[in-house]
Order: sequence, then C-alpha cells, then structure tokens
Amino acid sequence: MTEKITVALAGNPNVGKTSIFNAITGSKQHVGNWPGVTVERKMGKRVHNDVEMEIVDLPGTYSLTAYSLDEIIARDFIIEEKPHIVIQVIDATNLERNLYLTTQLMELGAKLVIALNMTDLALAKGDSIDISKMQEYLEVPVISTVGSRGGGIEGLLDAVTDELRKTRPTENIFTYDAGIEKRSGEIETILNSDPYFAHYPARWFSMKLLEGDESIIKKAVESDRYPEIREVLDKTDAYSLESRIADQRYRTIQTMLRQVCNINTNRLSGSDMVDRVVTNKYLGIPIFLSFMWAAFELTFSFATPFMNMIDVFFGWLAEAAANAISIPWLASLVGEGIIAGVGSVVIFLPNILLLFFMISLMEDSGYMARAAFIMDKVMSRTGLHGKSFIPLVMGFGCNVPAIMATRTIEDSRDRLVTILVAPFISCGARLPVYVLLAGTFFGRDAGLVIFGLYALGILVALLSARLMRSTVIRGEDTPFIMELPSYKLPTLKGSAIHMWERGKIYLKKAGSIILVGVVGVWLLASIPAPGSGGTFASGEIYGTTNSVIGFTGQLIEPLVAPLGFDWRIAVALVFGVVAKEIVVGSMGVLYGAGEDEESLSNILAAGAMTPLAGLGLMVFTLLYVPCFACIGVIKRETGSWKWTLFQLLYGTTLAWMLAFLVFQVGSRTGLLA
Amino acid sequence: MKQDYGNREMIFAALSGALYTIFGIFQIAEGFGINTGMPEMIFIPGDIPGGSCLMVLGAVFLYGLKEMLQGINAGVSFVYVGILMSLVFMAVYLLVMGGNMLDSIIVPEDYEGWNIMEAFRPGIYLGFLPLMGMLCWKDRFSLHEVLVFREGA
Amino acid sequence: MNKRTLDQIEPDNSVKVLKVTGRKSSRKRILDMGLTPGTRVDVIRRAPLGDPVEFRLKGYNLSLRKREAETILVEFVGST
Repeated sequence: MTEKITVALAGNPNVGKTSIFNAITGSKQHVGNWPGVTVERKMGKRVHNDVEMEIVDLPGTYSLTAYSLDEIIARDFIIEEKPHIVIQVIDATNLERNLYLTTQLMELGAKLVIALNMTDLALAKGDSIDISKMQEYLEVPVISTVGSRGGGIEGLLDAVTDELRKTRPTENIFTYDAGIEKRSGEIETILNSDPYFAHYPARWFSMKLLEGDESIIKKAVESDRYPEIREVLDKTDAYSLESRIADQRYRTIQTMLRQVCNINTNRLSGSDMVDRVVTNKYLGIPIFLSFMWAAFELTFSFATPFMNMIDVFFGWLAEAAANAISIPWLASLVGEGIIAGVGSVVIFLPNILLLFFMISLMEDSGYMARAAFIMDKVMSRTGLHGKSFIPLVMGFGCNVPAIMATRTIEDSRDRLVTILVAPFISCGARLPVYVLLAGTFFGRDAGLVIFGLYALGILVALLSARLMRSTVIRGEDTPFIMELPSYKLPTLKGSAIHMWERGKIYLKKAGSIILVGVVGVWLLASIPAPGSGGTFASGEIYGTTNSVIGFTGQLIEPLVAPLGFDWRIAVALVFGVVAKEIVVGSMGVLYGAGEDEESLSNILAAGAMTPLAGLGLMVFTLLYVPCFACIGVIKRETGSWKWTLFQLLYGTTLAWMLAFLVFQVGSRTGLLA
Repeated sequence: MKQDYGNREMIFAALSGALYTIFGIFQIAEGFGINTGMPEMIFIPGDIPGGSCLMVLGAVFLYGLKEMLQGINAGVSFVYVGILMSLVFMAVYLLVMGGNMLDSIIVPEDYEGWNIMEAFRPGIYLGFLPLMGMLCWKDRFSLHEVLVFREGA
Repeated sequence: MNKRTLDQIEPDNSVKVLKVTGRKSSRKRILDMGLTPGTRVDVIRRAPLGDPVEFRLKGYNLSLRKREAETILVEFVGST
C-alpha cells in the first residue's frame, strides 16, 4: 500500500532546480501549462520508501510577493493546493539571498525540506557551511546535494518521507520589530475569528496585508470583517513597512549565517574573469555577435543534411504511396496532402532540436543573462527586454524555433510582443522568393535589394514592438532587475532533456494545427471550381483556375490589383502559407513555366510582371501571413486564437499597405518603370 | 605583483592574436572578392561573417596582451577566455564539416566539384594552438568548478 | 554626507544603500533582491552600451537599468 503525496519544488532561478528535478524524476516527467496561463508546469513521479511522490516544479522565484506571474503561481500553488512537502533548492554559493525565499516559505506554513545544492562549488570557492547547525537554526532538514551529478538525491527523498511522519507544532517564526508584531497580532486575531480565513496561514496573511499586497487585500475585502482589518491597516504605513520587513528578514538571515558558515569573499572568481572579457566595453558586443553567428551556423548548416534526409524520405514515401494507391484523388490526398504535410512539419525538427540544445547550453552556462545585459539598451528602445534579442535573431533562420525560444522571456507581455513581431524577421524560406524576383528585376543590385528586405523586416519588427507596447499590449516597461548568475558547466543530459521536450511539444501541439492547414489548402486546390467540369484532385484541376483556389484567386484579384498583382500571384501567395518557398514553385506552375526557375524568370522579365510589382511582391511575402508551422507555434505559444489572428491580420494589412505604397508611389513617380 | 603571469602567456596571446586576426582579414577580403592568393594554399574561404569571428577571437587575445603589457594581471582572463572561445569555434566548424560530409552523401548533386578540404576551415586548424594552450595550462581550467580559474589574478 | 542615487556612482566604487524609492512593484523587487538599507553594494561595470549597470551585493551579481538605479538612494563608502 503506497501513500500518495504531492511535493513542490521551489527555489530561486539559477540554483539548479531543474537538475534536481531531473535527478529525482528521471524520465518520468511531463510538461504542461499552469491553468489559464502559458507558464510551463513540469511534473514528475517518483516512488521512494513506499511513498509515491508527485513532484511539481514551481517556477523559479526570488520572493513570494505578487511581483510576477511566476511568483503568483508558486505562491497560489502552496496556499491553495497545500502540497505535503515543499523542497526548496538553495544555491550554497549564494546563501543570503536564497534564504530570503526560505523565510517566506516558512511563513506560508509549508513543511519545508532544504536541498543545499552546489555544495561542491561552495567548497571549491573556499566557503565552509555547518549544515547541522543550519538545520538546528532553521528547524528544517537541510540536505547537501549536487544536482548536476545526482548526488544527495536519496538523502533528500529520505528527508521528505521522514518529514511526512513528523508533526510540527507551528510554522517557524521570524520575529519582526515590536511595531510590526503588534499590528500583525491585531490582524491575526481578526483573521482567526473568521472562518473565511481558515484556509490561509494567519501570520503570513496578516504580514501580506500589512505589506499592502494587492491580491491578498482583494481576498480580504470579501470578508465581513474587512472594515476592522482596514482600520488596523490605516494605522500603519505600508510603504515604509515593506522596506522594514525586507530589511528585518535579511537581518535575521545575516545573524544566522554568521554562526553557520564562513564565506570566502576575497578573491576574483572565474566568473568575474569571464565577465571581464565577455562584457568588456569594446569586445562584449563583437563576442556576443560572433557567438550568435556560431549558433546560427550550427543550427542551420549542421541541420541541413538531416533536413535533406527528411525531405528525401518523405519525397520517396509520397511517391511510393501515390503509386500504391490506384484511386487518383486518394493518391493525391495521401501523397501531396498528408505525407507532404507531415513532411513539412517534421522538416523543421532538426532546426528546433539544435537551436534548443544551444539555447539550453547558453542558459545553463549563464551566458544568456550576459547576452540580455549586453543587448538590453538596444531592446529597451522598443519597450522590450534584453532577452527578446536572441529569439529575434534566430528568426533569420526560421521563425518557428524563434517563437518557441521566447520561453526564456519571463514577463508575459514582453513575451507576447516578441512572439507577435518575430514573423517579420525574414526567415530562410523567404530567400528563394527574393532570389528569384530580385534576380529577375534588379540584376546587379539584387544583393542590395535582398539586404534591404532583411533590414525592412528588422525595422518593421522593432517599430511594431514599440507600437504594440504603447497600444494594444500596454503597461509600464518591465523593470530590468536581473541576476547575473555565476557560470556553470551545462550538463549534456540537462540540455538533451530540454531539447527533447521542445521537440515533443513542437510535434504534438504545433504539428496538428500545421497538418490541418496543409490538408486544407490541398483540398482547396483539388476541389473543382463551381462550373468547371474537371474531376476532383486530378492533374488538370490541381492549383489551376479550375480549382476552388484558382477560382478564389480570380475573385480576390481586385483586392490585390492595386498592388500590381494578378490572380496567379494571389494563388501563389495562398500556397505560400503552407511554406514560403512554395511561392516560387507555384508561380512556375501558374505561369506555365513548370519547375524551371530560369524560364519563369524569363517569362516574368518579358513583361508578365513589372519590376515594381516584383518589389511589392517581395515586401508582401516578407510581411504577410507566416507559414502554417509558424501560425501553429504562435497559437501554441500565445495560447490564444485571438492573438494569432491579430498577428495574421496585422501582418497582412501591413504587407498590403507597404506593397501598395511601393507600387503606387513607384508608378506615379515613374521610378523603376 | 607585476608580471605574475610570465612571458609565456604574453607570447601565446601575441601569437594567437596575430594569427587569428590575419586569417580573419584574409577571409573577409576573400569574401569581398579580393583575390589574396591564399585560398589555394591554406584553404581560406571567402566568408565575411566567419572572418569577422576570427578577428574577434584575435582581438580577445590581443586585448589581453595589451592589458598584461600594462601590468594588469587580470588581463590573463582574456587569454583563458580566448582559448575557450577558440575551442568553441573549432567545435562548431568541425560539426559543420561533419554536416557537409553527411550532406554530400545524401544529395551528391549539390556537391559536384566539392572537396572536403573546403570545409577544413581556418577556424579548425588554428584551433590547435589554443588546444595546446589549454593542455599547457590545464590546471587553470578546473573542470570541477568549471570556468573558475584557480588563483585568478 | 555624500548622498546620491545609485546610477550616478562610477564603476569600481562601493556604496551603502540608504533608501529605496520608486514605483511599488519595482521597489518591492529591489528590496527582495537584497538592496535593503545598510547593504553594501559594489558597482562593477556598465554594459558596453552604457546601460544597464552591474552591481555586486550579498555575494552575487545583479544588473539594473539606470532607471531602476535612480530610485536607490546611497551613501558613498569608498573605491574598491
């Protein structure tokens, strides 16, 4: 008979919480979202001493105020779900600030077990920590662990099951000065007399009320006794109290630390040495850019053979399937629709896995925080955080992993804005379109035109971010208060787990949306248009004026005519939603040039399209609806169809306006005529 | 406390700094289409961003040299970090080379006239120098406390 | 006494925190991160573009934008 319990894993960011989580749960974990928000929720199972533990990884927080969504999630979980045990992972090299969270977890009345992590690093640094004294002082079990190598995990789990059997009389109490204690006592008396508050730890609740914590006050307002509480609160000054409470918590911690450990502060550590170089006034930015380039090169060059493999495989599979099926429409559906659709999802997997492997290396090593530190000035102009820079840069390769990479941005509004503007960064798949059109119409200046398009993409992304940040996604700029953690060696296992999780999320969640979209377009291209006599999905229907898509293309021609586009381009653009590189291929088919790009180029240059319309088409391709894969991840990462639609509408409107401007201004002034 | 870090570090910084910078310049020049006559000899490809990265590595070493010459002991950080960075780039180029080889097997038609030596970039062979530096000063790179150089300046 | 705000302190100097002012949410976070009155803070360096600034306190490194540092009233202690 095993007992089932819930164990929450709390701790500051960068303390090795994930490595402890991985060490406890092994591969038995799954990733979901916290209800109603897109913050990740990781859970795992472990049976130890006949106790089945469900481990919930809380978001990393420095405190439990209502400062960020992460803090609210962590705190609500502890108050509302009342996990049996809370394990706090503490960085042994940074005790003072880590223990600040401990004081709050204790006030919450949680049964606490402390995992003193990275004790090896603390030792190497020359610190000595008396663990048994610390345990005595805190009245909480303290277990030394080395999460990266899985050391101390058994002991930690033993402590958890031991603690389960113990009944602790009350929560350990940090005493504040007499003034605070008096008020807190008064409020506690009121709270204790009202069953409405029985659910909450009284002392913690009263301290939060005194600090003026808005979400707690909101809860208190619903009680009949609120007027009495208000009376006490009005006698205190929350503003100065906040500072006094924080100060006294830190003081208590300092008193304890003086007795339990000896910290060596007198040396230039390796981290300081690395920082001297990588955040150097002159070299910092070049070094950062060269790392970005290396990551980029690896993500997109090293992935090429794997992508080609997938491409070849699905090509072969589609053909084999088409040959094996004798009903033509079914063969086309399976071959050109489903298998090609699945292929278009899977083909990005090498990119995504590699990119996340590298992002994980950068995060785990501590370099990510430096990158944000270096680039913050640039990003703050757009109202974004320094951390938004990396996803945007990655977008040059592919927008899909770029959007997934926004998970490193803590603030939800910053993250949303970054997701919404990321598709404007010109990805690799748009390049074939530029190469064809710029090559056809601009000859020697093609390089310059292409460069200009990339620059336009960046400009639109940054300006849109500023615009959104001051209109639809308003709110004060997130304050930039960021720890620069000391450097650590990332573990291969940790990075591999991270990479695999992302790959899974991509295939499962985004994949389904992408597939539906791809098959949908296939249907539109295969169903004969009203009035045309062709058979469903036959060669003479597929993607021509005789299909629904071609028919629609002619219908919407007036809409794109002001941009100098005809119905063929409209259709090619619809196909482009499947994947941008298809635009070129479908134009070839529609203009009767087949697969041969050179003859397409000749046809276009011979007058099928004006250079201005060509330029407009490139601008349009850059900005309009991104590909299905991209739409899929936008939906997945924003968790909202509303924002996904917003992105599509915003981008397409902008694309139309700019292409219109190019064509109309160009034709009026006679430029490029 | 001046000159704690001996001449060996300075010579190493000067040599690596000069090599990476020069190769970087050649690589950028080739990228702009200027014929330096070097590609045939030592496989320097025309690659502007890649060349810039080499120059950044060179600059890190030279900056450390400058600081050490000024008597700033912490300047040695630049040498150690430079070594680590060069090795990272060496690894990246090796992986890209492996990727190219694999790709040439999968889609041979894209690789007609391609020679494996084209992927043998300066970033790889120059990397042997920092690799030697790493082995020479391996006690400074403690794996136990990674990136923490013992007895820093 | 030499009262100034934290953003005015040049790198390689140390200060003691006197008071944290500013907006409620960022003030709370600044206090939580350990910038309580009396804490000694070393100014380490500015980012390559001049902002944000890196500090060292309580044995760890923290970076703040100048806008946040402006809200912290400090007293000069000495150079490091």
